[in-house]
Amino acid sequence: MSEIASAEGGKGKGAGKGRKKSSTRVDMTPMVDLGFLLITFFMLTTTLSKQQIMQLNMPDKKDIPQDRPEVKESQAVTLLLGENDKVFWYTTKDGVPDFHETDFNPTVGIRQILLDKNKTVKDLVVVIKALDKSKYANVVDIIDEMHITNTERYALVDITKEDETLVKKQLESDAAGATN
Amino acid sequence: MGQVKSKKAGVMLDMTAMCDVAFLLLTFFILTAKMKTPEPAKFDVPSSISDTKLPDDNVLRISISDKGAVFLTVAEQGIRRELIQEIDKMYKLGLTDKQKQKFELTETFGVPMNELKFFLGLTDEQKADYKQKGILVDSINNELKGWVRVAKTINPQYRIALKGDGTSDYAVFKRVIASFQEMNLNKFSLITSMEAKPSGE
Repeated sequence: MSEIASAEGGKGKGAGKGRKKSSTRVDMTPMVDLGFLLITFFMLTTTLSKQQIMQLNMPDKKDIPQDRPEVKESQAVTLLLGENDKVFWYTTKDGVPDFHETDFNPTVGIRQILLDKNKTVKDLVVVIKALDKSKYANVVDIIDEMHITNTERYALVDITKEDETLVKKQLESDAAGATN
Repeated sequence: MGQVKSKKAGVMLDMTAMCDVAFLLLTFFILTAKMKTPEPAKFDVPSSISDTKLPDDNVLRISISDKGAVFLTVAEQGIRRELIQEIDKMYKLGLTDKQKQKFELTETFGVPMNELKFFLGLTDEQKADYKQKGILVDSINNELKGWVRVAKTINPQYRIALKGDGTSDYAVFKRVIASFQEMNLNKFSLITSMEAKPSGE
């Protein structure tokens, strides 16, 4: 800020004379404005373009079955991802599944259920099975829910025939309930 | 510099220096910004709360489009050069040098092996209109495994990143994951967009 030029110069060279000498000085303010605007834009876009990743570890297929950790029936919750963003979940007791239907709603959906389970069940294990008709976004969402609810032990597993029939039954009873 | 006399209201700053700095920075940011290469299909990634950043190097990206087509992205040109040599030998495609050069310049591709020769023979304009069917991931004809295996031997440090369109079917994702598991690759980075962490618990 050493040089402060007032518009109609005081004792500056040539200024103040009767004859108007056209000044070569250009007003740079709009140019600076533009410059900083573009800088801001490029700064923001370069930092935002970096993509986020979510780590997914799958079990080793070559694992010997005997080496796998045993999970008690009472510890496990199975989540099934269906079409149209539906989530089904069940716990089993003496081999009999206790089947429920829910969704991704953050206040009443699967998140609350997982939070509840985390509080009541020690060493909760969540088994995630996705139906072929579910979307990739559902899978990412459900793994995300695991992170949100701090569920540490979860696995993405292939779906079984039994699970498919359970979902089918639930959907049929839904349809029957809707017509009644 | 000057003796300050009583000044008038209009004060004018010399903006030249500021302008210089602004444009210097601007040039820097423009030059460092990475050009976004046009993608051959739609990949709208779902969001997650994860805030881990994708590393710049050693990433082998597999993308799944909304139609379920599988694409492979090899970012390094040098590796693409070796990759196409190997693939050409392995699958006996009989590519010409020109076609191989074309492959070197293609970062993301998703064509079945039997169409690769035809695909690389297309001009740039034709390529833009050409609908890539995706790399085959069937259980009988798993070409993705071939690509990845060769890429992994060229650069063993490759980590697998998966970029899937949110609306693509899980079935495709399952097949892709299963092919990697058969190769004993069990760690994946799923590329997601950022989402705010829910407050409270």
